[in-house]
Amino acid sequence: MMRWICLLMFVLSFHGVVIAQQKPATEGVIHPQEIESYRMIERLPVLDNGRIKPLDTYARSTLLQFSGRQSYNRKPAIVWLVRLLFAPDETKSSKIFLINHPSIARSLGIASEPHRRYSFQQLEPALDKFSELAHSANEVPEKERDVVEAELIRVFNNVRMYIDLSHVFQFAFPAKDFVITDPALKSQLGLAPEQEKFSFLEIALSADQLKTFMEAIQRKDQSQWSTQERTVIDLVSNLFQWSGVYQNLPLNIVPDPGQAGVWRSPWDAIRQDFQKDQTRSKMKALGKMIESYWDGDQITFDLNTKLFLEETKKNSGMNAEKLMKHLDLELTYNKGDFFLYAKILYLVAFILFLLSLAVEKSWMYPAAFGCIALGLFPHVIAIALRVIILERPPVSSLYETFIFVSFVIVVIGVLIEVATRRWLGIVTASVGGFIVLMIAAKYSAEGDTLKMLIAVLNSNFWLSTHVISITAGYGSACAAGILGHVYLLQVVCNKGKEVLQSTYRTLLGVLGLGLTLTFLGTNLGGIWADQSWGRFWGWDPKENGALMIVLWIAMLFHAKIALWIKETGMAVGAVLGTIVVVWAWFGVNLLSIGLHSYGFTSGVATGTAVYVSFELIFLLTVLILINRKKSGAKFIKPYA
Amino acid sequence: MKVIQQIVKHPWVKTLASVKITVVCLFLLFILTFWGTVAQVEQGLYAAQERFFASLIFLAKGFIPFPGAQLVLWVLAVNLLCVTMTRFVHYFKVRYAGILIIHFGLLLYLLSAFVIFHVAVESNIHLKEKAGTNVSSSYMLWELASWQQGAPDRRTVHAYDVSASTVGRHLKYSHGNFTVTTQQFYPNAQAYSASSDHQSKSAPLNASGIALLQPKEAVLEREKNIAGGLFEVHVPDGSTVSLLLYGADTRPTPVKIKGKNYYFILQHKKYPLPLTLQLLDFRAQFHPGTETAKSYESTVKITHDGASREVVISMNNPLTYKDYTFFQASYALDAFGNEYSTFAVVKNAGRFLPYVSSLMTFLGLGIHFLMAAFGVRNKKDKRT
Repeated sequence: MMRWICLLMFVLSFHGVVIAQQKPATEGVIHPQEIESYRMIERLPVLDNGRIKPLDTYARSTLLQFSGRQSYNRKPAIVWLVRLLFAPDETKSSKIFLINHPSIARSLGIASEPHRRYSFQQLEPALDKFSELAHSANEVPEKERDVVEAELIRVFNNVRMYIDLSHVFQFAFPAKDFVITDPALKSQLGLAPEQEKFSFLEIALSADQLKTFMEAIQRKDQSQWSTQERTVIDLVSNLFQWSGVYQNLPLNIVPDPGQAGVWRSPWDAIRQDFQKDQTRSKMKALGKMIESYWDGDQITFDLNTKLFLEETKKNSGMNAEKLMKHLDLELTYNKGDFFLYAKILYLVAFILFLLSLAVEKSWMYPAAFGCIALGLFPHVIAIALRVIILERPPVSSLYETFIFVSFVIVVIGVLIEVATRRWLGIVTASVGGFIVLMIAAKYSAEGDTLKMLIAVLNSNFWLSTHVISITAGYGSACAAGILGHVYLLQVVCNKGKEVLQSTYRTLLGVLGLGLTLTFLGTNLGGIWADQSWGRFWGWDPKENGALMIVLWIAMLFHAKIALWIKETGMAVGAVLGTIVVVWAWFGVNLLSIGLHSYGFTSGVATGTAVYVSFELIFLLTVLILINRKKSGAKFIKPYA
Repeated sequence: MKVIQQIVKHPWVKTLASVKITVVCLFLLFILTFWGTVAQVEQGLYAAQERFFASLIFLAKGFIPFPGAQLVLWVLAVNLLCVTMTRFVHYFKVRYAGILIIHFGLLLYLLSAFVIFHVAVESNIHLKEKAGTNVSSSYMLWELASWQQGAPDRRTVHAYDVSASTVGRHLKYSHGNFTVTTQQFYPNAQAYSASSDHQSKSAPLNASGIALLQPKEAVLEREKNIAGGLFEVHVPDGSTVSLLLYGADTRPTPVKIKGKNYYFILQHKKYPLPLTLQLLDFRAQFHPGTETAKSYESTVKITHDGASREVVISMNNPLTYKDYTFFQASYALDAFGNEYSTFAVVKNAGRFLPYVSSLMTFLGLGIHFLMAAFGVRNKKDKRT
């Protein structure tokens, strides 16, 4: 973090220079024509967070990180990113910086925006103050930072990232530092005679001629330098200064031809390998892309993107076919919005259920069941695509547990429905599938959800079977919880004995499944831990969480045998069981201790507290109603 | 058989077989697990483990006695044993086959917990590239080791475990016919050296010039504590020598006894290994463009019974030899760019037990669950 801030301070100190240099490209009223289609450029591979991903994913996760959304002005993130990269000034007024805390805007002296999103233009005058505040917040140890401090640092890093991104293609923009008026010099350097202002790239491409000039100049005394020679010296020193300023920028899109797995951002590639023909042709292609972007020339743009892509494939040191196949799959995954469709279908199924309570029509049941079955399709496709793209089992990160648990609940719901045909499975599947996918969507707001794994979690038979079975256990326990709600509501609503019995039997079955799967998952986790660390059990918070689910369900079953609880007690126990699951699943991450303390999100604490209070209020209300009914029944009985 | 009949009918056994005991025990374990998890934030894993899980009883809030997980598990084991004898064996029905297997599995589970709790020993080896060893070190226990100056390539070390509880006890070292007493022992300490002109002759000896040890509050990660202590060597002729030893001090302190040089050092307790392990090469791989490790692996040469071979130990791929398992745990780089690899060493004779018991319990659960599921369907079919 410190390094970032130092870097930013460094870049900011050149900020005046840089913004000034940027001007020429967009000076006056000239605006880029832009292009129509981003089909070619969105496929460009970028190395980011240890993984090669298409530029489209990079754009989405960057915009999501900045603004909490995946699109800007109803246009996909890629349109915004390309604009930021190729015509940075055009994005200065775009309100993309989400500042969750209004007090930050106030302390920066900016009028607060109703949608909490601010443009760079708004933030720019306050950058010095912002930097100072973020710097002080950064001094506070991470664990002791409050919401405002964390938000200050987050937004400041985003602004820094924005500035960095706006400089990534600086080398291709004509700049004041590279003005040549002398026609003779232009023709000697092989530059266009009608142009006066050139880009870093154009000048750097004639580095060989400049070198010859410099050798001649060095032999002369300073007083003998001609105007042309002075221009040459200016050009060379500006080249040198620029390549010193623009370092360590993001967007690693240029693979190092010499070192497999090393990708650089264009500036770093220029500094490292500009003498190589491959690098030069890549940079030329990038320059042409920017030019055609400004001219709105789609064909030239696509052609040069393709050229750049071909060069990249050659140098990537990987199987180019496989790489492109993965990138295309990821684009399909990004654009498919599979989870959105699944969510909508589950929701429709639930609405149909609610409607059926009011007006029962014969088509409603098959339609609702159909929605659940149809919703499973995009759900499964998305999970399968993730497995193929990341080449690892379906569940490894916290985000993936959400999509997998929702999948398990839906499958259990479908099975229940096939077996009982009383809407029970449809309710379970629609409620569970929808809610858990909603949580997943909320969680994915942190950026790219296709993440790489740390060494100890890297693919292993025991690990993958462990997480799959444990999450399936979570799913079953959640499904049992939903059934518990249904049972209690059915009791309140005076459903017939047969209906209640059917629900109760299903509840017991699903609870038993939850016990079996959680037990299996916990033990497979033990086996994995024994294989990896040499101890089967270590009282790690996450292990304890899973054990608590097992103990809770086992306790319910034994309490039933002991006749301490009956049907209602079992249903209440199943509902409380979901709280245990929530604790085991992500509650323990709140403690941020232990081996599994991955995926901590700040909103979790509030979310969990709200959920637990909701369940407790629900149980209290329902139990009061049931009790009142019982005593009412007793009261009425003598007169009946 | 008659004996079993008698046992089964014994009123005590009947009482102990009550399912109510099971419910209470499961609930207590549930509470303890939760409590022991949350307490880790404040007390650290080790202390919480000792207090809530390894203990028979502990005091909540300093005065309310509360059963520890060990006691609850003992009660549960007795309860389970009685239930198994009275209910399951006595009234066996095919319908209960799954339940029976589950509970036998759980009995075995508790047995494996007991065995592992008492026999498993965890230690570690921290090796520089090209270096080798035939001992591993404890994470938390300390020993006072001593040896006589002799051949440079071979030394026989005599050591006693030392801790706050050995203060005042006489430890007899047979190789030099002297005894050592622990005068003071700090589980975690900070060492200070005195400038040479302030050093007095009566100050306790230390080879690195440590003149003062100050106790510090023990940290939650117990392996990070560095112990220190004041020891007194009693020679048969009646004279005594004081030693100030510190756990992080790698230079042994020499003491001349009867014209011979003996060395003393306070170090993490050493466990002899059945093999010699030499680190040949350590490699770390990272995800491209990041500092996130993709894999660590060490190539080691192991020598046992005169034969040697090369083995690669990596994350999730440990080396198993007899009751010992060696895991790739960590690595380090020093200022000179030397690579170090750390292996966790576990000696566990009961390692296979949880595998068997968990498999058995899971099979029981599966059988019972499937029987119940299909049983329900059959009943329904019959009804319709």
